[in-house]
Amino acid sequence: MLVLEDVAIQLKSQILLQVNAVIKPGEIVTLMGPSGVGKSSVLAAIAGLLPETFRLSGKIILNQHNITNMPAHLRHTGLLYQDALLFEHLDVTGNIVFAMPGKKHRDKKQYARQLLEQVGLGEMAQRPVSTLSGGQASRVSLVRTLASEPAALLLDEPFSKLDSATRHSTRQWVFEKIREAGLPALLVTHDEEDAAATGDKIIKV
Amino acid sequence: MGFTTVLSLARYLFYIILLVPVAVGVVGVMLPAVGFFPALEQHSLSSEPITRLLAYPGIAKMAGLSLFTALLATLIAFIGTVALLAQFYQRKWLGLIQHGLSPVLAIPHAAAAIAVAFLLAPSGGAARVSAAVTSTALPDTDSLMYDSFGLVIVLALAIKELPFMLLMALGILSQPSVKQRLEGQMRVAQSLGYCHQTSFLKIVFAQLYRQLRLPILAVLAYASASVEIPLILGPQNPPTLAVAIVQWFNYTDLSMRFQASAAAILQVLVTLAAVTVWLIGEKIWQWRFCQQLASGNRRWGSVFVKLLAGILLVCFTLATILLVLSMVGYSVAGYWPFPDLAPVQLTLLHWRSALQALSQPISNTLIMGFVSTSIAVILVLLFLENEQQSDIKRASTSLADKLLFIPLMVPGVAFLYGLVWVRQWLFADALWVPVILAHLIYVIPYVFLSLAVAYRQLDVRYVHVASSLGKSPCQIFLSVKLPILFAPIMVALALGAAISFGQYLPTLLVSGGRLATVTTEAVAIASGASRRLTAVYALMQMLLPLLGFVLAWWLPTFLFNPAKRANASAKRNPAC
Repeated sequence: MLVLEDVAIQLKSQILLQVNAVIKPGEIVTLMGPSGVGKSSVLAAIAGLLPETFRLSGKIILNQHNITNMPAHLRHTGLLYQDALLFEHLDVTGNIVFAMPGKKHRDKKQYARQLLEQVGLGEMAQRPVSTLSGGQASRVSLVRTLASEPAALLLDEPFSKLDSATRHSTRQWVFEKIREAGLPALLVTHDEEDAAATGDKIIKV
Repeated sequence: MGFTTVLSLARYLFYIILLVPVAVGVVGVMLPAVGFFPALEQHSLSSEPITRLLAYPGIAKMAGLSLFTALLATLIAFIGTVALLAQFYQRKWLGLIQHGLSPVLAIPHAAAAIAVAFLLAPSGGAARVSAAVTSTALPDTDSLMYDSFGLVIVLALAIKELPFMLLMALGILSQPSVKQRLEGQMRVAQSLGYCHQTSFLKIVFAQLYRQLRLPILAVLAYASASVEIPLILGPQNPPTLAVAIVQWFNYTDLSMRFQASAAAILQVLVTLAAVTVWLIGEKIWQWRFCQQLASGNRRWGSVFVKLLAGILLVCFTLATILLVLSMVGYSVAGYWPFPDLAPVQLTLLHWRSALQALSQPISNTLIMGFVSTSIAVILVLLFLENEQQSDIKRASTSLADKLLFIPLMVPGVAFLYGLVWVRQWLFADALWVPVILAHLIYVIPYVFLSLAVAYRQLDVRYVHVASSLGKSPCQIFLSVKLPILFAPIMVALALGAAISFGQYLPTLLVSGGRLATVTTEAVAIASGASRRLTAVYALMQMLLPLLGFVLAWWLPTFLFNPAKRANASAKRNPAC
């Protein structure tokens, strides 16, 4: 469970945004609002990546652990952007192996292929990421994030660069996987359709 | 030791290597200039070295020659850079020009000087072509070589400076934020009726110049104290001040070191004077330019720019072809009478004997280049990583970017001799370490300039994603940033190696002549001996850095490139 207790983002002395939320496992809460109000900064704050020009107050609790001041790489908060941001120096499998915790490389490769097959992307295992379509890249990006065994998911307008046909199917697929994995997720968007598709709580700012 | 500690140490080391040797070296030169030199039993201060220097015949002419050649060469290179940019900005040709000029940047100054000498010598490439056209049988007795105004020095310096300025300008213009903004402004200016060239001059150039100023001043400072080019091409009676200083420092009579040190201080003043004249010129130009901005002239400078850019392109291309042909020709020439365009006999004898003589210098050059460049690239990468991880980004960025130019602005002759003195005093037996350190002073700034833009432009979201996948900052640095930046890192390695290969004065002085490199040998042989051997030496000087650049362009297509591997595999298994 992800709990945001009076989480406020400040720039100099001005409070940009204040959020209170309890996100249960498998729930996708949407944070909606116009551009520039600091929605993405909330995600950055939860992930531990808030630029030091901003100030954070309040508490971020993930699975009963206070992670407010924890280094970013120890938080287990998976992050998805509107661009898939797959590492181009690695192929599809390489990207997923990179995300997996633990050390045994051979087992990881096999497991990565299994993960890809489970989601119907088995044929792409060896593909260079630069050859994937937008929808495929988004799916691989989610598989990669799930492979890192996150405790929560943060989605920063992840469907905004997809065309309308791909957008619909990718969105359904991503939400389904998040629910299957039982992860609390916070979605930032200014798109009403994305928000409605979650079927969960919407926080308007 | 944690990664954060390594990064902090790298930051301190970066500043120490850039600043301490220069500061120590300057003090080491200043003390003998005021008569204090314990090694020569001089323990009190005196104005005698300065008085002796000022009474030296021709000293004003030497200083004037340094000032004149530096200012004129920098002005020509600058105007040429602006003309090429104004004519070809946002056009396909600019990429071609960039690729064509990049190798010139890698050519050491000494090799460039030797190449110009081959072109302009009384029986050189230009004279042979002109004789073939005019059917002349004897070489012209009038030659530009060693002219008392140093015009050939100006030409060689400008040839070396123009690619540097152009590539620096392109680096600034390619920054995404700048690029997008300026391209938009160019479109607006053109929609207001300004032609392409005038739009560039009045909009882009006006904003670009502020960022280009430091590199230009560094080029100017270097030109005012350059040694290799005036030594090979310049007048000798009197020579430029920097050449005279080197000669005085190398005199067998050690008491000349006092005069040489005083002259080194004068050299600093000449460099400062060059910078001051440039800045005054800049103010005058700015005043005129502001008037022009408001004039409404939609075609201002366009004809001049078109003409100059065209002439430059033609001259550069022709000169390059002639230079390469005449150097390759001489390197394999047996009997080659004037005015024949090609040698009558061909032989590989010069290559064989040169390669035999150069085996040790080549090995020294490669070792020194490899070690100093590797250290420089690692240090710069750690410095840039530290900059991204700490919250000192903005202040550190501007401070580092300015400090980088200190070793490039302070004339080598004004601190390297001081450094030699300190080395003899503290590390008399050390050989490689001080030379590598001296190379680092010059290699680090260029490696930094080459890497910083790419490193700072890397999409920070890759780092955020990797962080959210549970990777530590050290893992992200090694497994994400370095592979993504592999291509620019390879180019920085090649550039650093090229800079190290080309170091003449630091190698010669700091090693006390005990470490011969291809460059020190090429300069030595250029002053006499055989023109054919000189051609081989200069070609070797050019080939070594070019080899580095070929590797830098080729390796990224194979390493860290899954797309290329997939293509290769598809070609191997066409049926799949």
